[in-house]
Amino acid sequence: MNVNKPSLQEKIARLRESFISQLPGRLDEVQQQVKLLKSDPEMNRVLAVDLHRAFHSLKGTGNSFGFVELAAIAGEAEDYAQQLLDLPDNRTPGGWPETLENLLHQLASQVQILIYTDMQNDHPADAPFFEMGHGDRPRSGVQSPLIYICDDEPDQVDHLGYQLRCFGYRVEHFTETADFHDAVLQQRPDAVVMDVHFPHGRTAGTEALARLRELTGSELPAVVLSGRDDFEARLSAVQAGCKAYFTKPARPLDLASALDELIGDQHEEPYRILIVDDEPEVAAYHSLILEEAGMLVYQIHNPGLILEALRNFNPDLVLADMYMPVCSGVELAAIIRQLPEYLGLPIVYLSSETNRQKQFSAMQVGVEGFITKPVIPEELVAAVALRAERMRTLRSLMAKDSLTGLFNHTTTTEMLDASLAHAIRQQETLAVVMLDLDHFKQVNDTHGHMAGDQVLLALARVLKHRLRTTDVIGRYGGEEFALLLKNVTRDTAEKLVNDLREDFSRIVFTAGSERFKCTFSAGISHYPGYRRAEDLRMAADRALYQAKKEGRNRVVVDLNHD
Amino acid sequence: MLILVVDDDALAGEMTAAVLEDQGHQVIQAEDAVSAMEQLNEHPGIELIVSDMNMPLVSGVELFRELREQGKKLPFILLTGDDPAVASAQEPALDACIMKDFSLDETLPQAIAQVLAGYN
Repeated sequence: MNVNKPSLQEKIARLRESFISQLPGRLDEVQQQVKLLKSDPEMNRVLAVDLHRAFHSLKGTGNSFGFVELAAIAGEAEDYAQQLLDLPDNRTPGGWPETLENLLHQLASQVQILIYTDMQNDHPADAPFFEMGHGDRPRSGVQSPLIYICDDEPDQVDHLGYQLRCFGYRVEHFTETADFHDAVLQQRPDAVVMDVHFPHGRTAGTEALARLRELTGSELPAVVLSGRDDFEARLSAVQAGCKAYFTKPARPLDLASALDELIGDQHEEPYRILIVDDEPEVAAYHSLILEEAGMLVYQIHNPGLILEALRNFNPDLVLADMYMPVCSGVELAAIIRQLPEYLGLPIVYLSSETNRQKQFSAMQVGVEGFITKPVIPEELVAAVALRAERMRTLRSLMAKDSLTGLFNHTTTTEMLDASLAHAIRQQETLAVVMLDLDHFKQVNDTHGHMAGDQVLLALARVLKHRLRTTDVIGRYGGEEFALLLKNVTRDTAEKLVNDLREDFSRIVFTAGSERFKCTFSAGISHYPGYRRAEDLRMAADRALYQAKKEGRNRVVVDLNHD
Repeated sequence: MLILVVDDDALAGEMTAAVLEDQGHQVIQAEDAVSAMEQLNEHPGIELIVSDMNMPLVSGVELFRELREQGKKLPFILLTGDDPAVASAQEPALDACIMKDFSLDETLPQAIAQVLAGYN
């Protein structure tokens, strides 16, 4: 017996593929048949029989391969063709060409979906030569970034590793390039800090990176930390694709900001796209394309649900069909623009409208652009991503603090309202933390404002790395920060903030030749203890005040209202 | 066992063949009733026929009736995209009639086992 005989599943998978690849051809044939049928009524009978069989076969084979939706539409078409055959010529229903064409149209969108899904599922050529284990890691933000340090001097590495951990990274370090190499293949880190010179080679470190790039076909985000500051070492770093070069001793804060820049892009939240289309299949198809490009998509098929969808999903962009029953795309845009909070929300139409005049009238109610159907997947992704990104940038300029990149006072206050409403609706809990740096004025007075900014940035970094992406971090005032921790118990919140406090207190800052440390105090209040946003904030403030009064560098939990 | 598969849709035929081959059978394929007759004459070792119902010119049921008229008593399993009960009612002498769907890899071997048990 042939051991290499492909299994049944493999065979079926291959047959399915051939079936899908034949579908456009088959559909073309059917389209031709319908055309002939329309233009040549004399031959109706014979042609109708052929058409009936074509639909039947599409249904049967579609079912055989498990393409149930396709088979269902083909079945409907088959029944309709049968009806036409059963009726005498003089009683053929009037709208039959439209009905057939409508069914063909549905079949065509289904075929497009199948082809697209198939394309995505099946890219053996693009698949990496082995699994990097990168994709399986949850990206929800619970995991802080993983950093590999590879350096043969244990003392230096220990200190650096310790400081980076205080910033909220997970750090693993290696003194041998071979161990580092194996570890990367086991689990790909978010970024690498690499030395150049090792006992076994003057540029062994950067060579190890270059080898990994060759082997895996992708570049590891890496910075160099080296005792050497010569041309050869720097060149080897550039050639290995390293994005920054530090000479020892480097300040952990500088390294951290370089690492964040490297990691930054990957931790961006996906674009949120709201699709409004009355045809579920079409919406599903477009949603598939955008999801494949890494976006988060929510579809509604009834324009009447737009207000709830906007509120609940909070999209970066709306992709709307131009022609819908109840409410046209233009009217939909006008409704969205009536709401002040969505004035800037990009709206893109999907339509087969090529009439410039009509496009122009839609532009007047504030539509950002048109994408003409049938869409080309790459174009759709590019058009949507471009506009969604602009929206993000605009929003973040308005909502964020320019120094730390955290939410500003206004946005944080709004988010407290929204988070509390969400918690009440979902019957979850919510912890509100007010956090204030201890003796911050002294830092500014003694070490200068640059040093003060360093401290603010470091705290922002620790918070961003250690909290979940669903948590809200805001810079509430000069040295005051607010955290909204969703669905945690009071004890968990207290423990978490205490851990943050201890880590932060270990960070060593440098200003000129001086070194100093910094601490913070925090107060925590909790829903359901209070049911109003203002009460929650005040209670957290009172707890913070108490923490300050009790000697600072501590966390106090509000215990009133149990 | 040597089995003749009759289907005008080549891919559907391949699919049926794949299921049968996985069960250790050998398969010969025919694309319509006429070539099915030719294959039967050419390969006297064929022990069972699996045929699609809806084919141009001669349907699966018509092929079955033709074979019985010619005195060929081979077990005959009909595959259909519609409700199998309809075809069974149309031709009660069929050995088995099963639905073409994605569970063919289970239903077809079961049907064969039952049909053969009846003959032995």
